[in-house]
Amino acid sequence: MTDDNPSIDRPRGDEPPAGEPPTEPTAEQPTEAQATEQRPAPPPASGPRRLRRSSGDRVVVGVAGGLGRYFNVDPVIFRIGFGLSVFFGGLGAFAYLLLAVFVPTDGDPDRAQRAGGRLQSIGLWRGLALVALGLVALGGLFVLAGGAAFAVALGWGIPVAIVVIALGALLALTARSGGARWLIPPAVAIAMGAGVAAASDVDIRGGIGERDYRPLSAEAIPADGYGFGMGHLVVDLRAIDWAQERVVNLDVDLGVGQADVFVPASVCVTGSTHVGAGESLVAGEQDEGTDVDNDVASGSAAVPRLVIDADLDIGQLRVVNSDTADADDGGYGPGSFHDDSALLRDAQARACAAR
Amino acid sequence: MRTDPVSLASGAAIAALGALVLLDSSGALDVSLGWIAVALSAALGVIVLVSGFAKDDSGRQD
Repeated sequence: MTDDNPSIDRPRGDEPPAGEPPTEPTAEQPTEAQATEQRPAPPPASGPRRLRRSSGDRVVVGVAGGLGRYFNVDPVIFRIGFGLSVFFGGLGAFAYLLLAVFVPTDGDPDRAQRAGGRLQSIGLWRGLALVALGLVALGGLFVLAGGAAFAVALGWGIPVAIVVIALGALLALTARSGGARWLIPPAVAIAMGAGVAAASDVDIRGGIGERDYRPLSAEAIPADGYGFGMGHLVVDLRAIDWAQERVVNLDVDLGVGQADVFVPASVCVTGSTHVGAGESLVAGEQDEGTDVDNDVASGSAAVPRLVIDADLDIGQLRVVNSDTADADDGGYGPGSFHDDSALLRDAQARACAAR
Repeated sequence: MRTDPVSLASGAAIAALGALVLLDSSGALDVSLGWIAVALSAALGVIVLVSGFAKDDSGRQD
């Protein structure tokens, strides 16, 4: 038997003599097609069953097709599993990547298999060193992006923008002489950091640190309010005699960080707040996201009343109407942070209904 | 020497981002975080897309 005609596996003794025409098939002698159907499957190769990626049944690199064949189930089940796993931590996507690289294909070696071969040839220590190098490079890009954002927040937006434009122009100019692709990641990192900081209108020129203000009267509050660049700002107005002051105006302006304003539970909180990106919790009303604007109890004439104008670029703004809350404690009484916000909403409703 | 399309497209995209930052920082334009996210995604998309096409072209030449 040769590879050219594998359909008939006839014993040598049954072959007709040379020169004699082959005999017609009889009822006992099956045709070639019948012989092909009746021929037993070739014996399985010795050794354990091997997992191979499928070269025929593949959507990406044949991982699900190979797993389906190995476990004798529909590969669609694996495809759905891998797809869903992306939305639940991405562990399945990571597993898919590992299988794609380290499980060989049953056909000609593809790109994933070649990459796996290269990785295996590198060795463990060299591989770890490469991973460490990659992490350092990634960290460097984060530092570049953070540095650019910091510079923009310090008011150097225009110089940083010019640097970004110059990097872009340099890249475009080098394109004719082979290009400078290595410049793309750092340039993109700088552009990203600068872009996010510029769009957030972050301004940290007012300083960095922690400020704690506890004025004893409305007159002690500066006309332009309280504010600084980056850090934790606490304005506690609970020492004010609210029965005498009745209405207190307060401006708060923070670049990046957390701003906490405290008033007694009996005070109606009114005014407007803006958070560029982050979370806003004003008298128990919680919002989060980008450009979070909140008009609180607008038009209320209740007294005592706080009229606040707060602006936070990035971070968390809290206006807490509670007699017991503490700036160092996230909660306002028993229970977790969010459960307690109902207490603040109730207090606000009572305070703003009073006249 | 042949022009590198990836460097050319990336340079243009990054310069456009820089122009956006410049306009915002100078007060000529008020770009929101949402729009900067769109611009950054578009720039990254252009870079990835052109890189993919460039790789495809070089593969065909092999």
